[in-house]
Amino acid sequence: MLRTQPASLDYFALTKAAKRLASTAPSSARVVRIAVLGDCATQQFATMIRILAHHAGVRAEVYDAGFDTVENEVFDAASGLYTFQPEVVILLNTVQALRGRYFAQKSDKLTFATDQLDKRIGLWDALRQHTQALIIQTNFVRPYERVFGNYDHQVPGSFSDAVQVMNRGLSEACRERKNLAILDTDDIASWFGRAAWFDEKRWVLAKSPCALDFLPHLAQGAVDIATASLGAGVKCVILDLDNTLWGGVIGDDGVDGIRLGHIDDGEAFVAFQAFLKELRNRGILLAVCSKNDHHNAVKPFREHPDMVLKEDDITVFVANWQNKAQNIETIKETLNIGYDSMVFLDDNVFERNLVRQMLPEVIVPELPEDPVDYVKYVASLNLFETASFSELDRQRAELYAVEAKREGLKHSFSNIEDYLKSLEMTIVVDRFDTFNLPRIAQLIQRSNQFNLATRRFNEAQCEAMMRDDAAFLPLHISLSDKFGDHGLISVVVLRRSKPEDGQPPRVYIDEYLMSCRVLLRGVEQYVMNEVFRWAATSGAEAVEGCFVPTSKNGMVKDFYAKFGFERLPDEDAPGAGARPERWERRVADYVQQTAFIQPLSGR
Amino acid sequence: MMPTAVLEKLTAVFRDVFDDDALLIVAATTASDIDDWDSLAHVNLVVAVEKAFGLSFTTKEISSLNNVGEFVNLIHRKMPPSRA
Repeated sequence: MLRTQPASLDYFALTKAAKRLASTAPSSARVVRIAVLGDCATQQFATMIRILAHHAGVRAEVYDAGFDTVENEVFDAASGLYTFQPEVVILLNTVQALRGRYFAQKSDKLTFATDQLDKRIGLWDALRQHTQALIIQTNFVRPYERVFGNYDHQVPGSFSDAVQVMNRGLSEACRERKNLAILDTDDIASWFGRAAWFDEKRWVLAKSPCALDFLPHLAQGAVDIATASLGAGVKCVILDLDNTLWGGVIGDDGVDGIRLGHIDDGEAFVAFQAFLKELRNRGILLAVCSKNDHHNAVKPFREHPDMVLKEDDITVFVANWQNKAQNIETIKETLNIGYDSMVFLDDNVFERNLVRQMLPEVIVPELPEDPVDYVKYVASLNLFETASFSELDRQRAELYAVEAKREGLKHSFSNIEDYLKSLEMTIVVDRFDTFNLPRIAQLIQRSNQFNLATRRFNEAQCEAMMRDDAAFLPLHISLSDKFGDHGLISVVVLRRSKPEDGQPPRVYIDEYLMSCRVLLRGVEQYVMNEVFRWAATSGAEAVEGCFVPTSKNGMVKDFYAKFGFERLPDEDAPGAGARPERWERRVADYVQQTAFIQPLSGR
Repeated sequence: MMPTAVLEKLTAVFRDVFDDDALLIVAATTASDIDDWDSLAHVNLVVAVEKAFGLSFTTKEISSLNNVGEFVNLIHRKMPPSRA
């Protein structure tokens, strides 16, 4: 996502920055291997990918296949593309290349769209035979060659009709496949204007996919998708109140005096709240951080008829006179999420700058002076890119709200064990199944803090492990208690080595991750018992866990030590980067852990 | 604008595009004289020149350019009379 302001997407400035990037020493940032294939020039685009990925905090190693080599690379099992072992493959297709084929087609043009569509889909499926990489496919910008004028819409098979059929077809085909995303080039081009987007001079001379000014925006779109698939993403929007959610100052103007609804610019705030409500329904948490007396701050939520957002929509409500950075810290602690997954929206430039300075990881966009432009501006930043969407997302806000009630209950027990018992927790620990695969893959993408190995298995890889029951026991874990269902909260991937030369097999914990929402409930203890039970039935003598330190998973650095594991000497691994720590515990020495959780009856 | 003034301004654009503050160009300078001046850089260069001078060259004009001198002449010719 765009952490900087749009002005920074200047093509020439970025080209220069990319050059400097090439001459600096490699950083410790996460490396992502990105292949760029296109029916247009890809070199400048690849440069933009490198620098914009760097701005997004990842180091892109880019394989640039060169002009119009898509088929050669995809259909040749020994191609440079596959040798490169990409994690992301960007397929950059242009309507400029398409039009040559369209106009050259002599026969019936009615089938042009479906033929082309089949070719694209054929390429995806061919790619999939060799790589599990995330495939990013551009769609097509609507062409300007309207030979029938507006009547184009009534002529099936006209060029503009064909492009619309293809775009629709790409979206639909993408939904049926895993790890595939559409880069909506048509949206980017129409946002800036197709008249400026199409630079025919540059197309004829150099096959540039668009005017150079827009190339960074196109590349940013691809970087947004790629980083979202790595688990980056906004989880919470923190909102100011006065002049952000309504016009005026509630403490001064009162509920009757603020501008909201059909008065002056009051409609703008209604529209902004409606947009935020859509985000909330999508699973983005909303929090309030306002300099106000609490009783004033909540008044509009309770009394104003034109408020779209209700108190229930706000997961954490902080209104006081402390500085906002401090309050955002409180919100972060309450929600247990990272600063880099928080967006702060405030009309006041002082507050924005204060938060930027104190909490540089929090995303703090400018806001336009005129509130009528709030939605247009915020939407243009594409802050809410995601790699998936499921029922779990819809429920997230409710889950967090229930959590706040649990926190309340906690205070009435002096003894944590009594508290845990009172929760009446039930758990399901099961092998991966097809029904849960999307949720499992999603949790794997999103978990950063309680994540021992941070291995971002995609859905296809999860499915492969699910089917390999000789080697893998991949577990998904769901938790409920008397307040409600937490849903799928943990994923543990166990593997056992083949018994060789009469040696007993060894059980490896390849991945262990859990949602921080259920910390300190005993889930880890319960699950570890399960791990050693499987190890024992497998005839293993020892369980080996792996911990890969990242900038975010410090909270689990002592995880294995707590369960009596002992650190093994590091293996010599080539290359730089964080070295996995290996921890071992003999099965015979394992001490059963206490957990106040029951398996769900009937399982 | 006199050709010398055009060359001066053009030098600034070249330095910016090739990210080299010491770069010197003369009328006879060609792509083979500057290491980074490949076909890709040429596209960047032409767009940067169009922006800097507020001009738009035709495709034919761009593809016929052989050296800096021809670039200067082209710019000079395309400038509106009041600014020339």
